[in-house]
Amino acid sequence: MHRVGAPAGVVAGVLSLFGIAGMTGAAVDPGKATAPRMEFVPPPPGSYKLQKIQRVTDAILLDTAGHAVKLSALTQSKITLLTFFYTYCADPLGCPFAHTTLADLRDRVRGDRALAQRVRFVSVSLDPTHDTPEVIASYSKEFTIDPKFDWRFLTARRVQDLLPVLDDFGQDVSVETDMNGHATRTLHHMLKMFLIDARGEVREIYTLAFLQPQVMFNDIKTLALEAG
Amino acid sequence: MRIPSRLISSLCVAAIISVAIASHADETCNSPYMSGLIKGQEDFVHVWTLGVPGMGDGSDKLVTIDANPASKTYGTVIHKISVGGRGEAHHMGFTDDRKYLWAGGLDDSKIYIFDVGSNPSHPKLIKTIDDLSAKTGYVGPHTFYALPGRMLIGDLSNAADKGGVTGMAVYNNKGGFIAKYDMPTTTITQVKGDGYGYDIAVNPAKNALLTSSFSGWNNYMRDLGELMKDSEAMKHFGNSMVMWNLKTMQPEQILAVPGAPLEIRWALAEGQNWAITATALTSQLWLVSRDPQGVWQAKDVAQIGDPAKIPLPVDISITADAKGLWVNTFMDGTTHYFDLTDPQHPKETYSKHTGSQVNMVSQSWDGRRIYVTSSLLSKWDKKGKDNEQFLRAFHWDGHELTPAFDIDFTKEQLGRPHHMKFTANPPRVASLTGASVR
Repeated sequence: MHRVGAPAGVVAGVLSLFGIAGMTGAAVDPGKATAPRMEFVPPPPGSYKLQKIQRVTDAILLDTAGHAVKLSALTQSKITLLTFFYTYCADPLGCPFAHTTLADLRDRVRGDRALAQRVRFVSVSLDPTHDTPEVIASYSKEFTIDPKFDWRFLTARRVQDLLPVLDDFGQDVSVETDMNGHATRTLHHMLKMFLIDARGEVREIYTLAFLQPQVMFNDIKTLALEAG
Repeated sequence: MRIPSRLISSLCVAAIISVAIASHADETCNSPYMSGLIKGQEDFVHVWTLGVPGMGDGSDKLVTIDANPASKTYGTVIHKISVGGRGEAHHMGFTDDRKYLWAGGLDDSKIYIFDVGSNPSHPKLIKTIDDLSAKTGYVGPHTFYALPGRMLIGDLSNAADKGGVTGMAVYNNKGGFIAKYDMPTTTITQVKGDGYGYDIAVNPAKNALLTSSFSGWNNYMRDLGELMKDSEAMKHFGNSMVMWNLKTMQPEQILAVPGAPLEIRWALAEGQNWAITATALTSQLWLVSRDPQGVWQAKDVAQIGDPAKIPLPVDISITADAKGLWVNTFMDGTTHYFDLTDPQHPKETYSKHTGSQVNMVSQSWDGRRIYVTSSLLSKWDKKGKDNEQFLRAFHWDGHELTPAFDIDFTKEQLGRPHHMKFTANPPRVASLTGASVR
């Protein structure tokens, strides 16, 4: 995969960092976004096994204070729900929807004090040039109202530090370009959330059709029961 | 063309996937949560093609055809990539991000992963998986169905006796094996499972995974004429469909559907509670729907041609609104259109002889273009002059199929064309990254 870095400070927002001559064509229609439907009773926690999909590869990212953190420190020892976002995403069924879903889940998990101590959420920015530690610190305030609940927001020092993480998770991302091939402020990415067990293994992946909080809550409890 | 701001907004994340849950059509049998369905003009048709000894390099190959009428190379083969052997190329499926195309061999059980996202006009073979049998005991990978971050593979046979008892395998998108699930052979909901497998179709909103059943290697790799004269062998075809709990991956209901139910298509629009399939040997359309008690029921709802003549329905393609269904019957080379406005009572409203033998049928999302290929299986295709091998494209105006272009796979020295998948040049985007398959 060819990646090109552009000179710093070229374009507002980071995205020109990713500027590459775009291909043309308009046949792929993203269609109208639709919230997921759930027309079934989810199976109870512990009545099923989640697949072991893949192990998480380690990386060095930045926390909201700008400190370097090992990703493995935040994807092990607790049940982790990890997602990617960017702070200026405005799609109501995009990042805001993802974080609303996570907030719903957080409240469900907080209702079970023992479980809450075993769960963490991790949100990783897709745009480290714009989403500096200061920016994600500000953004995260809305979601980290309960200091007892472990919800981390991360970014990267530079795009190159983020790319292996995206590659490992299979998180597809591209940047909308204008008629002249210049990057715009729109990121195309497939909304995914990754449920990771305390040993650092991805056990479920949720795309939009599967962002059903009750099912996700049951999956978290299933992992907790599995670990004993 | 400037993309409207609202559209950009919807592009920014979730819409790319969510399109898929709204409806399910061709573009044909794609997983309902795969990203980037092509609702406009497809640019390319990829054809998974069986190699023929003495024809070209004799190898199975992925053939790419330019399908955009605005292109100078419209209706021609623009790329082909051989896999270096013959393994009974059959079906393909995209990964959830539509960047990669997985293609299987029913004989050698190899699975090839092609990168079609980087440059869809020139797919690249990036990985070959050859451990299916060793990991699962299954052979004959047939259906490739995208799950988030994974590929669910419906198999046809097993390595032990090469009969029809088989199962499903799950690999992650990197090509690593994850899990296997045997097709049920026990009695569930008063129906005994035959253990056979074929197609896979998921309805995420119902947590439902529906499978169908065909036959094992011993039959599908045998000359069709001989097979049909062997009454004992003809007993070894699937007679069931299974409704699974997708989350638990446990079978919850077995449905008696005699005659080898093959391709499955869900109607995924809100309020719809049904899927449809066609039985190869009994030439019927079967509807799988929920009764008022919430129990799934299977019912034959229409005949396809004259079942006494064994027209052999082999592929179906449902329209985006689930109001119509294309059906190809192999033996009589006919493409049928059924009105599904009342899915309990489908009515054939159109048919056309589209070749001496026809197999797969794929339609564009808008239903205006229909593509037909000729080959069923290397040992089942017709002999002599009836062994036409082609991809034929048609325009459909709601009343008549009109030829658009025709590619003679024998003349082009390509082989036997089977499964088709569409790709399009991506919208104006620059790559930030692409998840690599290692």
